[in-house]
Amino acid sequence: MNLTAVLLVATLAWPLTLLLACTVRPLRARMLPWLPLGALPGLLAALLAERDALFVFGSTRFPLAFAFDRPGAALLGVAALLWLAGGWYAAAYQAESPARGRFAVCWLMTLTGCLGVFVVADMVTLYGLLGLLTVGTTGLVMQEGTARALRAGRIYLSMALLAESLLLAAFVLIVSSAPGNTLLIVDAPAAIVASPWRDAILCLLIAGFGIKSGLVPLHFWIPLAHGAAPVPASALLSGAVVKASVIGLIRFMPLDHSPWLAGALLAAIGLFGALYAVLVGVTQRHPKTVLAYSSVSQMGVIVALIGMGMASGEGSAGLIAAYYAVNHVLSKGALFMAVGVVADTGRRRLWTVLLPAAVLAVGLGGLPLSGGALTKAVAKTLFGDGLAGTLATLSAIGTTVLMVHFLRCLKTFAATGPDDCAERGLRWPWLIMATASLVVPWTLYLMAPQNSLPDAISPYALWASLWPIVVGVVLSWALLRWKRQLPQLPEGDVVVGLAAMGNRVSALAAGLGQQLDAALRRWAIGGTVLLALTAVFAWGLRTLL
Amino acid sequence: MTTSGGPLLVAALLLPLAAMLAAFVLGRAQAPRVVACALPVGLLLALAILADLLCSGEALVYLLGAWQPPLGIALRADGLSAAMLLTTTVVLGVVAWFAWGDFAQPANAPEARQPLMFWVLLPAVWLALNTVFLANDLFTLYVALELLTFAAVPLVCLEGRPETLRAALRYLLFALLGSVLYLLGAVLLYGVYGTLDIAQLSTRVHPGVATWAAAVLMTVGLLAKTALFPLHLWLPPAHAGAPAAASAMLSALVVKGSFFLVIRLWLDVLPGEMMLEAGQWLAGLGAAAILVGNLVALRQRRLKLLIAYSTVAQIGYLFLMFPLAAGLVGMGLSDAPAVTGGLLQAVSHATAKAAMFMAAGLIYSTLGHDRIEDLQGVAQQLPMTVLAFALGGVALVGLPPSGGFMAKWLLLSAALTTGQWWWAAVMVIGGLMTASYVFSVVVRTIVAVDPEKMPKMAVPRYREASVLALAIFSFLLGCVALLPFEVVQVGRLGSVLP
Amino acid sequence: MTSITLFGLCAAVLIGLGVYGLIVNPQPLRKILAFNLIGSGVFLFFGMIARRGAASGLGGDPVPQALVITGIVVAFSATALAVALLLRLDAAGGPSGLDDAVDGES
Repeated sequence: MNLTAVLLVATLAWPLTLLLACTVRPLRARMLPWLPLGALPGLLAALLAERDALFVFGSTRFPLAFAFDRPGAALLGVAALLWLAGGWYAAAYQAESPARGRFAVCWLMTLTGCLGVFVVADMVTLYGLLGLLTVGTTGLVMQEGTARALRAGRIYLSMALLAESLLLAAFVLIVSSAPGNTLLIVDAPAAIVASPWRDAILCLLIAGFGIKSGLVPLHFWIPLAHGAAPVPASALLSGAVVKASVIGLIRFMPLDHSPWLAGALLAAIGLFGALYAVLVGVTQRHPKTVLAYSSVSQMGVIVALIGMGMASGEGSAGLIAAYYAVNHVLSKGALFMAVGVVADTGRRRLWTVLLPAAVLAVGLGGLPLSGGALTKAVAKTLFGDGLAGTLATLSAIGTTVLMVHFLRCLKTFAATGPDDCAERGLRWPWLIMATASLVVPWTLYLMAPQNSLPDAISPYALWASLWPIVVGVVLSWALLRWKRQLPQLPEGDVVVGLAAMGNRVSALAAGLGQQLDAALRRWAIGGTVLLALTAVFAWGLRTLL
Repeated sequence: MTTSGGPLLVAALLLPLAAMLAAFVLGRAQAPRVVACALPVGLLLALAILADLLCSGEALVYLLGAWQPPLGIALRADGLSAAMLLTTTVVLGVVAWFAWGDFAQPANAPEARQPLMFWVLLPAVWLALNTVFLANDLFTLYVALELLTFAAVPLVCLEGRPETLRAALRYLLFALLGSVLYLLGAVLLYGVYGTLDIAQLSTRVHPGVATWAAAVLMTVGLLAKTALFPLHLWLPPAHAGAPAAASAMLSALVVKGSFFLVIRLWLDVLPGEMMLEAGQWLAGLGAAAILVGNLVALRQRRLKLLIAYSTVAQIGYLFLMFPLAAGLVGMGLSDAPAVTGGLLQAVSHATAKAAMFMAAGLIYSTLGHDRIEDLQGVAQQLPMTVLAFALGGVALVGLPPSGGFMAKWLLLSAALTTGQWWWAAVMVIGGLMTASYVFSVVVRTIVAVDPEKMPKMAVPRYREASVLALAIFSFLLGCVALLPFEVVQVGRLGSVLP
Repeated sequence: MTSITLFGLCAAVLIGLGVYGLIVNPQPLRKILAFNLIGSGVFLFFGMIARRGAASGLGGDPVPQALVITGIVVAFSATALAVALLLRLDAAGGPSGLDDAVDGES
């Protein structure tokens, strides 16, 4: 056991220990202030652990494996930072809540699942952690107990369980076709490419991880869930938790194998989603819902990056997608936190929050010198200048429009007292995350050998990131003029139709099942069925004669 | 030949018999103590049998009176028996722990029939199940099955309400019809092969009219006793109407008795090639059970009925192992993954379902009802119980590290390896449906309500602890996959191995 | 027609009548009697198999006879239990049919 192994195991084991401690009632009641500590080993692991490590514990048939690759390390680091800051924020935000014990339990479950996903390397543990993540997230979404929260939680839960069922099927298919039935994720891409069920596995993986990442048209649970959860939970769900699917796609998709057209399809779906979410997002009123739609849009871009990687056989696509996701973790986490800070800040101090929030928000669209601009420049190497590149630029413009819309919604959300000031437990985490989202993307950018500072601040690069912003701001101004003509779309857009249809189908099926059951439970019918079954078996086994 | 561990098998039968008789003779005041003393000994016995099995690597055999079959009667324990013996003892132990207060005799009260009957019937169920697991000839198995029914039926109507009496009568009559069909099949086999001993039959049985008729009659009879859809007419009212501790035994263990015989019949007695055909039919019924049982469970308004219908669905999973085992053998592979999957499913369901029924019982005794829509606030009142229910539910849904997950994983990979993806699809859909009703109950219980409005009925802490212990056992059961040995392959009769 | 065939046909008729009664007859007591009819059929069948052993030169196969006796004891206890339940049901004042509780929502 070296330091890396200890850190990787602690990333998973430490929050699990805190979770187990919550089974004791007095500890549970006092757990809230200690929530930030849960992510500490994860942060240390991201900073100190060696890259490209693999540790296998347990039996060879069902190993418990930990691994650390570069995309995982980058995402683990920022996710752990967000969990840390978010834990601090939550400790202040939920301090008065009567159900804070339950909140802590759900928080720790989600934390364990979320950080664990970045370090585990076998499919069984991954599946278990995704299950834990789902249960915890449902609890967080339902935390406020309102009808809206309960509905959002139910819809989230059914979608997440559906995703996990699809993923389970995919995992079993992968393992069945892998040589030696290995459960290690590292061997999955090669197994998928060689598998006779290749297309089925890909469809299952894309659908499963697609639901979890909010790929349009499977995105509708995101605005509901992220809108209904308490602010710190939304920040984590939108920032860190959805990235579990990103790391899943990066690790499972065969990126550095021969180019594959299916990737282009995935990229097309992703980019379509990126634009679609912007269009729906600008019709929303609540700042958290707007941010959730922005998440859907950004996740679409990330999925498209992975798709482009598959289509071009470009192995670095995973790292690029992870880099894009890192920026999104930080910015989105900070922006969600801003919503809570603004809600407690009066008119007089409002600018101290709104100004950094504006920088972050427009930075997400690619403001020159921001993390967003860097990620977009890196992403461009994959999107190229063709149709995909144009669509990606369009999505950057769209993001700017959406973010300006968000800032406008945010302003109306300020506290009523002019001198109100958010408490320290909210302000500090928000400031940390805001600073991190400016600093970390630059650090990571400059750590890569092929990038250099002069390239990043060359006039061409600045102009390339500036003009979509200018177009976006002009469009937002135009949007303001036509605001009244915009339709009012419900939160979660397609969910209304889908939910009605789902309810009707399930009611019909359950009704039929109940009638069948009631009939079979009548004695005369049951007895006759027994005789009929004898006849059926007699016929079915006639080969025995 | 009697093996060196053979006397352990006799002890495993005599111990519950002695406990049952002693409990009956000593009366209600001493009966719980008798059972409480016998169960730990039984646990040690089951562990000793398992250890002997793993050390020697072959089945334990005891010839009664040293008479050779077919005239004599043999007891035989292979890996399947040992695993089921252990499960039975563990579940019964926890049930007894849970029921300690429920069926305690209040001091100075006149002798009540219900507590005494419970403490006599518990070892009776134990005795019958042990006989089912250890007997090695078809007629002793018939007697054991009947014993099991006779012990289970009074458990259904312990409370003596008219509807439970009616449920018990339905159960009894349907089970009798099933066992008479089984007996007819066994008689046919005897008529042709001149023996009832399973080990001898497994080498003699060959296709023919009599084997065909016997296979059909015995299978259908056992399905009726196992309550596999569409023959489940007796199960929901019987399991939902009984007291919680009795429901736990009925749902967790009693239906497994006749299921165990289906395994014996198809894996050991009948020739392996027959299972290819029959497996599809059995699994077809299993799939129907999963889909319809879960659908009906989704619509139930009472918790205990929901759990009972969940049993109907979970029984379906057990039958998916047959075509998978046959498919593996057909491909020249070992059928161990499918059989282990089926066994783990049985054990996992036994522990999880017992925990869930007992949790429902505690909820019922606290609230005075078990209407699902009015369960708000239960998690505040009974946090350990709700946790136990949730963990049991997780094992049913099949999330790691539960035994249900390991079973599902083994069965899914067997289904996909043999190219029978449709069974895999049924399992995945069934898991999704199970998840939706389990979580909808749990979510309702964690809704916070004003503590003032909750009833003040206190549940003794040890009862909550017993339920939670069993649920945790079920939740961590998947970790047995980390052990280095395959229990089910020990002492298997060779008929289906390639 | 040999006596074995005759016994076999009798057994089949008994079982058939019993199954019919068990399924169709609504009254529990008649169902219990029908079950006994099935049981008798099966035991007759068992006796026939013992006779077959006699036909092949043995002096009658003793195993089926021992089993029939055990089977009769089992069937008798089953009947006793069923009748006891029926009496309790009657005393508890429930309607005697078996299908009333089908909805199970009480």
